[in-house]
Amino acid sequence: MKINRNFAERIKQIREAELPSRKHSRKVVFWEEDTRLLTEQGKALVFILPTGGCSWALSGSGGCSICGYIYDNPQQPDFEIILSSFQKILKNKLNKEFLYSVKIFTSGSFLDTKEVPEEFQFKMLEELSQYEVIKEVVIESRPEYIKDSSLKNISKRIDMSILEIAIGLESSSNSILMNSINKGFFWEDFEKAANKIIENGARVKAYLLFKPPFVSEYDSMRDMLLSATKIVSLGIDTISINAISIHRGTFLSQLFEKNEYRTPWLWSLLYVCKEIKKQYPELRLICDIVAGGNVRGAHNCGECDQLVINAIKEFTMSQDIGVLNKEISCSCKNEWESNLIHEKISISEPVIQRNVL
Amino acid sequence: MRFFQPIRQLGYARILAETRTHFPLSPGMVAINQPEITKGYTAVFDVPFPPQFDDLSKTDYSLTWILPEDKMDKYHSTKFQLTEQPFYPPFADESFVVSDFENYLDRFLSSSKLETAIFTLPVSQINNPRIKEIMETECSLYILSGLTSLFSNQRRIVETLVQLREMLSPDIALYAPGPISPSLYSFLVYMGVDFFDNSIAYYVSKNGYFLTEDQVYRQSIHPKCYCPHCNGLEPNLFKHNEMVIKNTLSRIRYSIERGIFRAQVEKDVHNNVSFAAALKRVDTHFNENLRIRTPMISSSPVRCIGEESFDRPLITEFRERVRKRYKPDPNSNLVILLPCSARKPYSFSRSHKFFHKAMRKAGKGVFKSLTELIITSPLSVVPRELEDIYPVKYYDIPVSGGWSEKEIEVTAELLKDVLSHFPKDTVVVNHTHGKGYEDIVEKIRTTSSFDIKDTAKDANPTSEEACQQLTDTLVEIQQATKTSDQKGISSKIRKMQAVADFEYGLGTGVILFPYSVRIKGKFPRDQHIYKENEHIATYATKSGYLSLFPKPANLILSKTENILEFGAERVSGSNIYAPGVIHANERIQPNDEIFIVHEDQIIATATAFVSGSDMNKMTSGIVAEVKKKVRSKK
Repeated sequence: MKINRNFAERIKQIREAELPSRKHSRKVVFWEEDTRLLTEQGKALVFILPTGGCSWALSGSGGCSICGYIYDNPQQPDFEIILSSFQKILKNKLNKEFLYSVKIFTSGSFLDTKEVPEEFQFKMLEELSQYEVIKEVVIESRPEYIKDSSLKNISKRIDMSILEIAIGLESSSNSILMNSINKGFFWEDFEKAANKIIENGARVKAYLLFKPPFVSEYDSMRDMLLSATKIVSLGIDTISINAISIHRGTFLSQLFEKNEYRTPWLWSLLYVCKEIKKQYPELRLICDIVAGGNVRGAHNCGECDQLVINAIKEFTMSQDIGVLNKEISCSCKNEWESNLIHEKISISEPVIQRNVL
Repeated sequence: MRFFQPIRQLGYARILAETRTHFPLSPGMVAINQPEITKGYTAVFDVPFPPQFDDLSKTDYSLTWILPEDKMDKYHSTKFQLTEQPFYPPFADESFVVSDFENYLDRFLSSSKLETAIFTLPVSQINNPRIKEIMETECSLYILSGLTSLFSNQRRIVETLVQLREMLSPDIALYAPGPISPSLYSFLVYMGVDFFDNSIAYYVSKNGYFLTEDQVYRQSIHPKCYCPHCNGLEPNLFKHNEMVIKNTLSRIRYSIERGIFRAQVEKDVHNNVSFAAALKRVDTHFNENLRIRTPMISSSPVRCIGEESFDRPLITEFRERVRKRYKPDPNSNLVILLPCSARKPYSFSRSHKFFHKAMRKAGKGVFKSLTELIITSPLSVVPRELEDIYPVKYYDIPVSGGWSEKEIEVTAELLKDVLSHFPKDTVVVNHTHGKGYEDIVEKIRTTSSFDIKDTAKDANPTSEEACQQLTDTLVEIQQATKTSDQKGISSKIRKMQAVADFEYGLGTGVILFPYSVRIKGKFPRDQHIYKENEHIATYATKSGYLSLFPKPANLILSKTENILEFGAERVSGSNIYAPGVIHANERIQPNDEIFIVHEDQIIATATAFVSGSDMNKMTSGIVAEVKKKVRSKK
């Protein structure tokens, strides 16, 4: 059993109530940003494809407790339009002066043939292999769609050495995967999928989720360190730590609205990045902060938020631990420490103003 | 053996001490993050912060008690371990919390060294029947998680804490983690919480709040503080706030120790509307639970300032005992109702001296058939015989002359019950004056057939006019009724009988002290009571209560409730320990004189440490201190 039935049932209820409000935009969303390539800085061209959405989120198990991306996917995708705009954008945007990483996100699994028909998978990858400036292609998938046969097929269309398959592992702890995320797979599934990818010559990027619901921030910090150790031992060289942000229409959002969840502190992220990078200097460690400084994203007291966010961004780009070692001081550091220990002792009971006066 | 031992009890509040050394630890503070060690009544959580790769194998966190070093060799342990915790917090959905909590219970119960393990109890799980299994182990510290979420609901917080404390043995400590304002500590301690942490100091200091023992101020406008932390070169708000937490707890320990804690609770709940409501709810719905845990034998002042005092367990217990355990002298057919006085005992006051003078003028014979009842708030009705006992001799109220509707109701009710013991032809002389008294007497007049004569209707009871009228009325009554020739019982012995009834149970006084006893010792010394040249009891002037020798106490074994059935035929040492207790009567209150009984024979007398119901729950530690033992024949 990889799911907690009662927990999944609760998530499904929320999902069923929210799904009818899905948007119907079929536009391919894209943007350009600075990014860290394996060894140098470069540009990233990020695509969000309007596919039918993540199979797990649409399944009878309700999907992940924290994820609301599904509400942005249209119910009826049109792959002809997707492909043509994809090609047009590539042509227009790629500039010979830069090196590129192209990231294709679907808010689901690119390798799921029900979500992205095989024919279109191949066409898009073939298109990408025509550009020399593209040094890295990132696609995302759940482990169950990573099969030897499909990897073999892909390898005929694209140079596997530039392909990076990102897997949303979130945590290496099966208990967290099952009881607080409802991920539907375990660490062992990830392990198998990652090995297959590596055997086929591509690279793996593991996403970790910082502070899922019901896990105290202190325990989540420990979990990040533990998960990093396990991931590195598989020979994976890229980890992306995603600080939680609260998506509307999710289980987590309901907890948050009832004042039962506090988004993580930026101090914790800063520390976790520093500690992991110190232990594994060779690792490419990316920390993406969505809604930083906002109550629905990672935040501190409000005074020091921007300083910390900038430090983490700079580190992600440069991979220079020196950036993190620079002392940032703020009076909220003590509070951070006591809150975390309190949260740990009283099992994730968040520190909320209403308790105090 | 549990780590804690209650050494003082007042309501659900207890002072817990380390079992082997009796070093007091609660109510205390848990420092969840303490760079510098603070001595005294503190425990420190050792959670490595921030977590490092080297710590990843570590799964337990220790809570270390700071105890005096000179006794280090005596402690069994000074550390508790927090190893396992449930996965889901108390606010998570019931459906998935239940099975998770069951798993946690299984893991916890199978772990080793439960004596120093910390059990996490989410408030949402207190109805889980398997908590009994934890209670049977030696685990002595529970983290009560989720308590703060009940703070806005006075009904639930009261019901939750009462339910918990009724379930748990008094030597199990409860720790309520999280930011809790020090102004709420005293109520929570009264309801049985033992430890708080300093997380509020971190929280409020950052947000610029300034704590005092009864309020939270903004840092920009707060009363000037002269503590060293506020006046140093670098004022340290955190240290000031933490000091306030410690001072608050120290004040609570002090007042539990002195027996004046309830008055403090009454005062402190006025800081918060929902907690004031909570105390009222406790008093109306769970008065009995607190009464049996409140010491009656004491000599601490009883200040009844607020309206909460009227339902104070000590006061309600007094009224209850007067109702159930007071029976007037059977020869008495004349009752005088008197007002109370500020000076205690009443008979030392100027006003009562006047009354007595007026009574004596009516002839000495009048005292033979006379019972004096003092009408007062909040005690309602105090028979003269009981004027020297606690709390009568020690209470104080702000007198305004006005009586509330409720006071009138309760007092009239009790007075009616007391008067029902008197013969039908009894004459009641009402020597009180004022609206409240009038209303009370009026209620009696309408519901009973007694002949009630007013002697101070138009003038102050101490006035010459009223006193003269009292004398005249008494003379009149004496002439009308045939005075019996029977020899009256001495008022001293009558008093001892009434005190014995009040202390040990109705009917014990006459058995213990027939009129042949002799009382030696002059006020203010303690008085010794002799029967046939045998010293059978001592009367303590200070508290107004008796203590008996084991042998004469056997006479009242069938009448008294102060009985502890003991498992051995001899008491060794100077304490009674929980494992020896077969059954303690549930009416035993802390500080009560109890009789240690083995096979229907009293083998010792002792002073109870905790209430009888708590004695039955305890599995280790001292439950009573031996006073006198029967010498065993060898």
